[in-house]
Amino acid sequence: MIPAALVPAMPHLLAGDPAPSWAELATATRTVGDRLRAAGVDTVLLLSTQWFTVLGHQVQCDARLRGRRTDENWYRYDFGHLEHDLAVDTELAHRWADAIDAAGMQARRTLYDGFPVDTGTIVASRLLDPRNQGRWAMVSCNLYADPSAMAAVAGAGVRAARDLGRRLGVVAVSGLSSGLTGRWITPAEDRVEDVHDRWNRKVLDAIRAGDRAEVLAMSPQFGEAAQADSQFRAFAFLDGAGAVDRPGEVLAYGPIWGTGAAVVWWGNQEET
Amino acid sequence: MARVFQVPAGSSRSGARRAAGTPAGPAPAPARASGEQKAGIVAGYLAPHPPHLVYAENPPQNEPRSTGGWEVLRWGYEELRRRLRAHRPDVLVVHAPHWITMVGHHVNCVPNPRGISVEPIFPHLFRYHYDFRTDVQLAEAIVDEGASAGLVTSALREEGVRVDYATIGALHLANPTWDLAVVSLSANNNPYYYSDASLAEMETLGAATRRAIERTGRRAVLLASNSLSHLHWDTEPELPEDMGVERPFTHAQYAGDMELLQTIREGPTSRLRDAVPKHIEATSSETKAGSLTWLLAAMGWPAIAGDVLAYGTVIATGNAVVEWVP
Repeated sequence: MIPAALVPAMPHLLAGDPAPSWAELATATRTVGDRLRAAGVDTVLLLSTQWFTVLGHQVQCDARLRGRRTDENWYRYDFGHLEHDLAVDTELAHRWADAIDAAGMQARRTLYDGFPVDTGTIVASRLLDPRNQGRWAMVSCNLYADPSAMAAVAGAGVRAARDLGRRLGVVAVSGLSSGLTGRWITPAEDRVEDVHDRWNRKVLDAIRAGDRAEVLAMSPQFGEAAQADSQFRAFAFLDGAGAVDRPGEVLAYGPIWGTGAAVVWWGNQEET
Repeated sequence: MARVFQVPAGSSRSGARRAAGTPAGPAPAPARASGEQKAGIVAGYLAPHPPHLVYAENPPQNEPRSTGGWEVLRWGYEELRRRLRAHRPDVLVVHAPHWITMVGHHVNCVPNPRGISVEPIFPHLFRYHYDFRTDVQLAEAIVDEGASAGLVTSALREEGVRVDYATIGALHLANPTWDLAVVSLSANNNPYYYSDASLAEMETLGAATRRAIERTGRRAVLLASNSLSHLHWDTEPELPEDMGVERPFTHAQYAGDMELLQTIREGPTSRLRDAVPKHIEATSSETKAGSLTWLLAAMGWPAIAGDVLAYGTVIATGNAVVEWVP
């Protein structure tokens, strides 16, 4: 049973003066981190939809990603300045890339000084692993590949981890609906518009019920009607890891600058 | 096997093509002494930014090395450079779709952006050391004019924001010596939510850009850093510059590009108000990010034809280098 989670990608979770929903989502993400550690996870397979690519599937192979990211949209806020220090499980990363190739897809091994780590990865890693003790294996989100390809990529990662005897966790960093508010707002103004809110709750209800087939079936419509983040490839990825065939526990749900965001945990069924 | 599709690179014949009924125009007017030159927008270029074109050129600023490729497009850019010089601009103003800003239209007001831009999608092709000068006065004027027109705007003054490859790519390909001041504008859209720019807002931003250029008395050349048809492969060959596999994604994508380019070649630009959205619908054109609409709006939708200097595909996307001289 692989522990897994869906966590938000937006940097507002690190705000010094957060909206209530941002604070709840941040707390819930920290809870996921606690649970991953309690489960004895060696390495987390991570997909961030903010590391979006268009050619093949990029696997991060740099052993240490240290730096500071100034977000190109949120630079005027405290949460737009993001220090990061990530340890990559390079043995697993290379094995994962090999497994992607072996599955008939194209892996692209990414190892470049100064490579810009995306905001979603940094935000999630800082909340999940505040003491920088964990290890990560990271893959990009190919927006031109079919969502089912992301499932195959996740499956390759699980096989690679199994071969190496890793105790694995799987995390997808992504939002739900879009509807991003197109102006500068105060945290108190933040809300999800009604239509998108209904869609998000419908999807989360199916997740709570453990109905993965229903979630997958409604994903295209969710992507269309609510402009879901990357057409909800995040769920396809988690499904490919075999991590969502049981009820998910929705730890938090709320708006981030008009978008829908949730923290969902899939643990042992006895836990959830 | 498919070949790179192209139309002839710019020539004196194509350079003379103007709006129907309008006499063939001369080459760009000879430059006068700097103090005598008229301010305003002196030319606009559709200046696509695939990093492959920079990679293929092997400039010293870019770390990866290539064996070439995409020559016809690069020859088009060589002609663009020659013409751009003749216009004697003070500043290049670029709108680029990969400085993605979810909230509003941002203008880079950092006086001297510099650093290395490792492109997250194409890191094997584009690791570019940039160091350029911003025309801060004009940049701030565009922010002010945009805000006055009711747009959400923001002046970027933070040093650490990495400059994106669409901005660098268009600027490098138009002016590889980087000896002209720059103003760089973001694209207000959001790819992971599949939202496009509002073309209506791009009209407003274009008009604001024109007012700012006139108010500051600059001679400006505008660069719209957009490709055309935008469906492309999701894998690439072992040799990225393998021209043996370079071709349009489909014939329909190619035909959509040719229809738009024919409209551009015939003029006047006002026909593009309808043609651009139609082309976006037909080909998922990158002009959905708004750069081309911004450029034409800034130029006031002049009653002229554009001069297509080159067309070619890059990983199957359509790319054209086009000049408009008002």
